[in-house]
Amino acid sequence: MKEMFKNGIGEDAEFAGYHPVVNFIFFVFAIGITMFSIDPVFLVVTLSFSWAWSILLNGKKAVRFNLLMTIPVMIVMAVINTLFTHNGATVLFYLNYNRVTLEAFVYGLAAAVMISSVIIWFTCFNKVMTSDKFIYLFGKAAPVLGLTLSMIFRFIPLLKSRYNEISMGQKCMGRHVEKGIFAKARQLIKEASILVSWSLEASIETSDSMEARGYGLHGRSSFHLFKFTSRDKKLTAYILVTGIIASVGCALGKTSIYYYPVIDLGKWDLMKMITLLSYILLLVAPLVIDVLGEKKWQAYRSEI
Amino acid sequence: MASIQIRNLTFKYPLADKPALENINLDVESSEFIVLCGKSGCGKSTLLRQMKKNLIPYGEKDGQVLYQGIEISELNDRKSTTDIGFVQQNPDNQLVTDKVWHELAFGLESLGLDNQSIRRRVAEMASFFDMQTWFRKSVSELSGGQKQLLNLASVMVMQPKVLILDEPTSQLDPIAAEEFLKTVYKINRDLGTTVIISEHRLEDLIPMADRVVVMDKGKVISAATPWKTGDFLGGKNVEERHPMFYGMPSVMKIFSACGGSEMKKGLYRTGDGKKIAPLTIRDGRLWLEAILEVPKEEEHICNKKDEYTEKIENPIISIKDLWFQYEKNSGQVLRGLNLEVKKGELFCLMGGNGAGKSTTLKTVAGIVKPQRGTITVDGIKVCKENNDKIAGKILAMVPQNPQALFTEITVEEELAEALYFRKMTAEEKAIKVEEMLETMEIGHLRKSHPYDLSGGEQQRLALGKILLLEPKILLLDEPTKGLDPFFKITLAGIFEKLKKQGVTLFMVSHDVEFCAEYGDRCAMFFDGDVVSAGEARAFFAGNSFYTTTANRIVRQWNSELVTWEEVAAWVEQNMTP
Repeated sequence: MKEMFKNGIGEDAEFAGYHPVVNFIFFVFAIGITMFSIDPVFLVVTLSFSWAWSILLNGKKAVRFNLLMTIPVMIVMAVINTLFTHNGATVLFYLNYNRVTLEAFVYGLAAAVMISSVIIWFTCFNKVMTSDKFIYLFGKAAPVLGLTLSMIFRFIPLLKSRYNEISMGQKCMGRHVEKGIFAKARQLIKEASILVSWSLEASIETSDSMEARGYGLHGRSSFHLFKFTSRDKKLTAYILVTGIIASVGCALGKTSIYYYPVIDLGKWDLMKMITLLSYILLLVAPLVIDVLGEKKWQAYRSEI
Repeated sequence: MASIQIRNLTFKYPLADKPALENINLDVESSEFIVLCGKSGCGKSTLLRQMKKNLIPYGEKDGQVLYQGIEISELNDRKSTTDIGFVQQNPDNQLVTDKVWHELAFGLESLGLDNQSIRRRVAEMASFFDMQTWFRKSVSELSGGQKQLLNLASVMVMQPKVLILDEPTSQLDPIAAEEFLKTVYKINRDLGTTVIISEHRLEDLIPMADRVVVMDKGKVISAATPWKTGDFLGGKNVEERHPMFYGMPSVMKIFSACGGSEMKKGLYRTGDGKKIAPLTIRDGRLWLEAILEVPKEEEHICNKKDEYTEKIENPIISIKDLWFQYEKNSGQVLRGLNLEVKKGELFCLMGGNGAGKSTTLKTVAGIVKPQRGTITVDGIKVCKENNDKIAGKILAMVPQNPQALFTEITVEEELAEALYFRKMTAEEKAIKVEEMLETMEIGHLRKSHPYDLSGGEQQRLALGKILLLEPKILLLDEPTKGLDPFFKITLAGIFEKLKKQGVTLFMVSHDVEFCAEYGDRCAMFFDGDVVSAGEARAFFAGNSFYTTTANRIVRQWNSELVTWEEVAAWVEQNMTP
């Protein structure tokens, strides 16, 4: 358990083991509804769930990242909105003959919470949606897109290792010890130019190899290793039901309130409550799945 | 039925004066294993590329290349993709996608197969190649040997009838190369796939071949069984030897030098009583058993003095008690390494993959910093403060991939670039460049683009560029990788010249035959330290497995013989009359 909080459960999380389509649908709902929520209750819900899940996934370092990411955003947004928006009834003070209102400050804060939550949701997205899931989803849309992505992911480490080799070669020639900006820039440009010409030259062979294996024939398909099993079906149904209800609520304006001229928290009618409940049920799903999955492993380990 | 037929094929590249291929006639039977050999630039790749539709180079072509009776360039695209597989030299450049499984599926995706069929075919191939454990890995995590096996597997997954390989093992170390060639052999034997392979390293390959095709200056000069090829290349005497003879396996060279098949006696007999010449080490031993009259040496396990204890006066490189690891938890790469290199010698550090040989080189060059221990080069301690005194002045390193150095658009300018920071007049620089062009024997290429040179020429250009820095010590990482036997001889000549000028050469290599023939001292690296070191001859005579093929054949009788020439001369003397 300790270890889990240190490094997070990351890509091995139970939820990440579900079919990419399931993962993707979840994020569409979670992030989509967050983006259209400005009601403080909904914001608190989405912020706390995103925080909890990001810590579960990324461990200790998520706390630092989240704070570093969100606090500046909050300060900047709150300050900017307060200074530039002069709507609102409650005047706090005047600055250069401009009204500085409480409502504008609160609205800025709420918007900042919304943006922070979206950022944190994306850190979770990043962890769960690994490159091959991404490639699969894009490949579904168009095989060429999936392939392009896959080639990019292949190219990044390749360029890195080539650059290391070039830089090492230059060091061994006694370069890299230059002083002064111009000499350093010259060296950097030189290394970049080696990297480019080497990679271009190599890509001729890559294209030969692609053509030799039939690239360009009509009717390309896209292969993947994912299986859509019964548990994926169940989770998809669950996410769709909760997600759609919450979205409908969102579309009806149940996730937002009025801030101007005075803050109006709105009526808590049945629809609003149902929306909140389904939204909570949606967001709690990956958390519960991951925690239960981890528990299962612990039980399994202790049996051995 | 012939699988591929080549009829009167002549091919000329645009703007070339001479044809790259001249009047080639060759029939490749179904399921045949053909080895194509010849000097670099003799037209091997050009010929192989004529057999694959999308890869046929642009130029004037005359004659026919037929696959199952149909001209290759008119083959249906799908048929050409599935029936003829092509594997190239560089393991890295051929990989297209980021994951092993995706790479395997690439060809089948192109053909538009559905997920279930791809899954089945990929599963079959992964099992055949024993890739289950790295099936889901990223390709960037694989070793060079694994990458090349993956390239082979992703071609085989389309179930080609003909497999063409263009120097597939030239970028691999010998162990990975052997593994790769064994897999190719297995494909040929188990699946009946026709194999046409070109290669420089023939030691393992020749015994597998049904026929060896020898090319010279764009012509096929011989296409026969391995031992007939050996006879043909060996000629009747030393003067008649074809240069390609030196690229043959040691056994064949020894056999041929001792008289070849002229010598009726002692031909090795197979089970069915057919007489053939020896091709493998086992054959070689049986053959010697039959013709030698010398008693076998007593097996000695440890009766030789360990030369490693020998003290060296004034070493130019001295490594003392070096410990190194890359990361805190990654395990020690160097464990108390001690090593000394004499001034003006060619020192070879040998050993398995990932043993830490290259790391040793990097620590000497000051690129990585050891946790403990000291290194001194030419009396100066290697450390960060002294780096600008050492790197590029006392010591320089030639990287494994020569491309890592090339910045300019001509060979001349490339060499001049090395002198950019030197304080001398333009004339002096021009003279230096001129001298280097001559030393490296690349004067005729002065206006070529570095990337248009062949592998061996690039190697020499990189070496030349580094040498213009006039280092006292030259560090070389696998300098013979991908070179043909003739370039190796040239390279050895260059090393000899450098040694005469007092340059110390410290090389890391897998190439046992090269180190045995040209090295002054050799050391075996294992588990982070040097386990044995000594003068080259004594070193290889003392090893039982890690030694030259010639030595392995003859060591039962005389373990002191290391090169094939020595063995051949000795066998000739001791043959039963």
